[in-house]
Amino acid sequence: MKPAPFEYIAPNNLDEALIAMEVNGFDGKLLAGGQSLIPVMNFRLAQPAVIVDLNGVTELDFIRPNPGGGVTIGALTRQSRLEHDAIVRDRVPLLHATIPFIAHPQIRNRGTIGGSLAHADPAGELPVLSVALQARFKLQRYDKERWVNATDFYQALFMTALEPQEIMTAIEIPPLPPRTGWAFQELARRHGDYAQAGVATLIALDDDGVCTYARLVFLNVGEIPMVATEAAQLLVGERISAESITAVVNHAIQHEIEPTSDVHASADYKRHLAGVLTKRAIRQAANRVTS
Amino acid sequence: MHIHLIINNEEKTVTCTPDDTLLRVLRREGYFSVRFGSDTGETGAAAIRLDGELVTADIMLAAQADGHTIETIEGMSNGLDLHPIQRAFIETGAIQSGYNTPAMVLAAKALLARNPNPTEADVRDALSGILDRETGYVKPVQAILVAAAMLRGEAPNLPPIHVLTPVEYDPGFGDSDRDELTPDVGDMATQTKTEIRPKITSDIPETSVVGKPEQKVDAIKLAKGNPAFVDDIEMRGMLYAKLLTSPHAHARILDIDDSAALALPGVHAVIHYKNVERVIYASGGQSYPNPPPYDQVSFDNKVRHVGDRVAAVAAESLALAEEALKLIKVDYEVLPAVLDERDAIKPGAPIIHDEPDAIDIHDAQRNISHHIEAETGSVEQGFAEAAHVFENTYRVHQVQQCPIEPHIAIAYWDSDERLTLRTSTQVPFHVRRMVAPLLGLPVKRIRVIKPRIGGGFGAKQEMLIEDIVGHLCIKTGRPVRLELTREEEFMSSRTRHPQTITFKSGVSADGKLVAQQMTTLANTGAYGTHGLTVQTVSGLRGLSTYNCPNKRFDCHVMYTNIPVPGAYRGYGAPQALFALEVHMDEIAHALGMDVIEFRRKNWVNEGDGIDIAPHLGEGEKETVTEIPIILSNALAECVDFGKQAIGWDRRDDPEWRNVPGKPHQKRGLGMAVCMHGTAIPGLDMGGASIKINDDGSFNVLVGATDLGTGSDTVLSQIAAEVLGVPLEDIIIYSSDTDMTPFDTGAYASSTTYISGTAIKKSAEGVREQIKERAGLMLDLDDWSGVELRNRHAWAPDGRSVSLEQIALHSLHQDQQRQIMHTASFVSYESPPPFAGQFVEVLVDTETGQVTVEKMVMAVDAGVVINPLTASGQVEGGMVQALGYAHCEEMRYDEAGRMVNPQFGPYKIYRADEMPEMGVILVQTHEPSGPFGAKAIAEIPKDGVAPALSNAVFDATGVRIRQIPFTPERVWQAISKQFA
Ligand SMILES: Cc1cc2nc3c(=O)[nH]c(=O)nc-3n(C[C@H](O)[C@H](O)[C@H](O)COP(=O)(O)OP(=O)(O)OC[C@H]3O[C@@H](n4cnc5c(N)ncnc54)[C@H](O)[C@@H]3O)c2cc1C
Ligand code: FES
Repeated sequence: MKPAPFEYIAPNNLDEALIAMEVNGFDGKLLAGGQSLIPVMNFRLAQPAVIVDLNGVTELDFIRPNPGGGVTIGALTRQSRLEHDAIVRDRVPLLHATIPFIAHPQIRNRGTIGGSLAHADPAGELPVLSVALQARFKLQRYDKERWVNATDFYQALFMTALEPQEIMTAIEIPPLPPRTGWAFQELARRHGDYAQAGVATLIALDDDGVCTYARLVFLNVGEIPMVATEAAQLLVGERISAESITAVVNHAIQHEIEPTSDVHASADYKRHLAGVLTKRAIRQAANRVTS
Repeated sequence: MHIHLIINNEEKTVTCTPDDTLLRVLRREGYFSVRFGSDTGETGAAAIRLDGELVTADIMLAAQADGHTIETIEGMSNGLDLHPIQRAFIETGAIQSGYNTPAMVLAAKALLARNPNPTEADVRDALSGILDRETGYVKPVQAILVAAAMLRGEAPNLPPIHVLTPVEYDPGFGDSDRDELTPDVGDMATQTKTEIRPKITSDIPETSVVGKPEQKVDAIKLAKGNPAFVDDIEMRGMLYAKLLTSPHAHARILDIDDSAALALPGVHAVIHYKNVERVIYASGGQSYPNPPPYDQVSFDNKVRHVGDRVAAVAAESLALAEEALKLIKVDYEVLPAVLDERDAIKPGAPIIHDEPDAIDIHDAQRNISHHIEAETGSVEQGFAEAAHVFENTYRVHQVQQCPIEPHIAIAYWDSDERLTLRTSTQVPFHVRRMVAPLLGLPVKRIRVIKPRIGGGFGAKQEMLIEDIVGHLCIKTGRPVRLELTREEEFMSSRTRHPQTITFKSGVSADGKLVAQQMTTLANTGAYGTHGLTVQTVSGLRGLSTYNCPNKRFDCHVMYTNIPVPGAYRGYGAPQALFALEVHMDEIAHALGMDVIEFRRKNWVNEGDGIDIAPHLGEGEKETVTEIPIILSNALAECVDFGKQAIGWDRRDDPEWRNVPGKPHQKRGLGMAVCMHGTAIPGLDMGGASIKINDDGSFNVLVGATDLGTGSDTVLSQIAAEVLGVPLEDIIIYSSDTDMTPFDTGAYASSTTYISGTAIKKSAEGVREQIKERAGLMLDLDDWSGVELRNRHAWAPDGRSVSLEQIALHSLHQDQQRQIMHTASFVSYESPPPFAGQFVEVLVDTETGQVTVEKMVMAVDAGVVINPLTASGQVEGGMVQALGYAHCEEMRYDEAGRMVNPQFGPYKIYRADEMPEMGVILVQTHEPSGPFGAKAIAEIPKDGVAPALSNAVFDATGVRIRQIPFTPERVWQAISKQFA
């Protein structure tokens, strides 16, 4: 099949792109890597009247270290570039380590970070990471711009804070608190598949091994990345032990996720899986804490 | 719009529309190596390099490539000067159907540009986005490692087929140190190793072409991505067809209104039940008379599964055809549906075939398509006498063959006004005979051509879409092309039969089987097609491996409202052997016997008869009248070698079973014993003609259809061997109903055995004529002692004439005649190949995830004619079998709609998730086969599922009697056991 007819606009810079979206935002769609959009267009599940192709807006393809730590990444940066970039590796190891879980090389060669974040697939890895890392997104319109926290960006199934005319242009990832370990655990049949469930975890420990900070964000057990705030709070002030982990896991899977059954797995199984993965992720993250 | 592309260093300006995908535009421009696999980027068949990066052209707009550089495989070679990666693919045997070879070669090139010294893991990662259904990725990975070494300027050894010189089989061999058995694969070590272990039961004559790892005769064109497949031609005025399929699992069509569709300019025809003649047929591609029931028509006023045909349109473009589909108004009366065979047999279930004109349905009112029964001895008596009786029920699910090239056919009128069907089929001759009455044409006005095909695995042993393109071509007078989408390939083509199987076995006090009964409820979906024969084979395979005086098979083949099962490589055996081999494992454990020794006590040996065979012949008629006797059998050796290669004794080592620090991880080993058939006795027939050319080369014309399996190569090897020429002197042309002798087609593991014997006989006929001519030229009184060797005919006195001289002499000079011979072969034997299948697993008892770490299969397929293609068959077959056992599954919602008709949700193994694999070819000499060969293509499909189940039991103590082993199913079973 081929996608239904549409008008194709290929701006050469951000200004042109913003103008094109200002004019066409309501019946148009941005095209980034196309690795999610073109398949749905091939199936006629999306039939935009106008396509605004961002690929010529090369100024959105960048990875910049921030002065106080952390990085800012242009929305058009390809996933494969993140996979091979030294700044990302050194400053956001969680992101770096998780990219290979996404699809296959030739998909990552096209797919962009902004596209994946904007696409907001609850089974996507990048939305979960952005929430876990408390990233901020720069959303631009022709005449205004704003920064939105990843935590506020995801609203409902495939629904985000993006306005129709807005373009996500940059992603700012703050540095991790000191002595923070990280882990990402998912169960897919294998690498490259969308996962049945997954969790991103950050744990900070003080010199005595007492938890000073914890964050748990779940993948594919709700309409959006699910943050287990209360469960994470249970860990703060505690040492990492079988008991403290069990308490966290039980609270998280009973109160802070909302799995539904799908092609791959039943809700019950996903809930169970989320618990097992959380247990492992907390241990792994704690083991990664270095002073 | 116009876009500028630099394709393979050539600047081009191309016209396209914004909605054209890059795949579409490249094919239109003649880059046929960029191929369709799906619309979702999941198959990678459309991979190209864009500015040096591998991307997939099916999910990219052509407009996005404007100003960019594109590389396709067409740019990689210059005439016969191939790129080292292409050469490596040819030399390692990495090409089977070749459909996605271009994608893999480009992936390799992109990888090696970045990383000249990749590890095996790097290579697997680079290939991970390209699905392969044939090679198991084994040889492609080897090819890329070899190519990398060549490009680094090294001279790599070719891995790792080791043809050991024939030695007498030493029974002690199986017990020697494991390391000794691991062949030295030099610098090209990969996750997979193939060994050949000769077991000589009679003399294997010296050969020069047969038995050698010859390169595939079609490898070069496939490595270059030359246009060779159905879709790789463009016909003037061609129309595009699309199917309108049913959204309902069961419904009556009250009316169809096609007027709006026909009014759309550019739409040339709409066909459906109101304007296509109702001719009853059975679609399974089988010998005349096709096995019953006859329960299909081209278009019916009833639909019986989601995806069933409702109408078809032909229009000037695909987009128009799709537009037209939306304009067809169908008035459905939705009926209740039934999906599971266990529900279909219940009283009050909806009746699926209530049409009055269906022929030979066993009991349409009760949805019973067939009832098959066979008995030897008396099981009742056997059970009564047995010391122990065991009974278990197993369930196997539905999977699809998933050829990467979906069904595709083009129909056109030739200049003689004969209808030509260029189609991706395994059975061109059956298609011609079967389609003729549907189209109202005599057989003689139809020609069926099978070009290269991109995998079939049984899905294409069917007359499936040829009637549709035929009808549309007749109606419009224009060439018509129909290609199924990936979703249609799942829902509107063919699949594998689900079954519910109960095995009941009586065992004597000393562990001998005394009675065995297999009761099957099979699901043939909406139509009968292969329902009778698959289930018959299922019974035969389920009740042949073990000696037992009393056996009984009872099977009801049920209609339901699921997409139609048909033939799938293995043909009923994988279902039966899953049940049988898990059941045997369960009995051994219950008796406290070793799982292998219990089997050994009961399995068939050389000289044993297959006593149930005469009662389970294919088709209604009994083609086997006498009990077939097993003439070659290396099952014991297969099991011994397999045990060793997998490290079976580690089962007793608790340290190996457990993972330090990870109490939730458990290791286990499982095995299964397999026995298959070779061709359908008394039914499968193949013919071949061979003629000499002026230069002493030969044309071989053969009806056998090469699906990518390498049969063209193997058959050419046989001809070359008999005629005393190198392989390059054989020009083979396969499967064109106008040009080649008849062949039943590529199925039932028959080609090497049946068509191979036909070729051998035909070559022997030619050889006699050559010898006679040599006698004439050399003035011999008696030419019987002439031998053919090295392109010459040699007299006993040492004088010789070249085949070229012989050809010229006989064609031009004296007593002119065309040296040529045609022969055919049908066998009344079906000599079984045997195998031992071993699987090692790691089970995560908390998540239920099963990781298959290693698979070893030791196969006795007789004399191996080509170790490269034979091991390729085993590797690829095992991986398909692994998908069946582990992760592939067609799933439905309550309304009977398949919920996962895309790769991704329908999970196929990828290059980076493969277990370590070992293939051991244990040679026997089968007296009835050509050069001692038996079949190899299907047996690799039989043992993985039961061996996996037995391994999971070994690891966890949990017995799972249903496949596939998805994490959730395993987790549920484990939690139940320990609840
Ligand atoms: C075979 C296959 C397997 C895959 N497996 C995985 C997987 O395992 N995990 C996973 O997470 N993903 C997976 N993906 C999806 C892949 O990661 C996509 O690349 C990603 O989801 C979308 O990124 P894109 O740049 O291709 O966006 P596009 O497809 O171009 O766009 C996606 C959506 O985002 C919008 N958009 C894009 N860019 C912007 C922007 N800057 N501002 C605002 N809106 C924007 C578009 O309008 C569109 O609605 C897979 C894809 C394929 C084809
Ligand atoms: S060529 Fe590999 S799947 Fe067909």
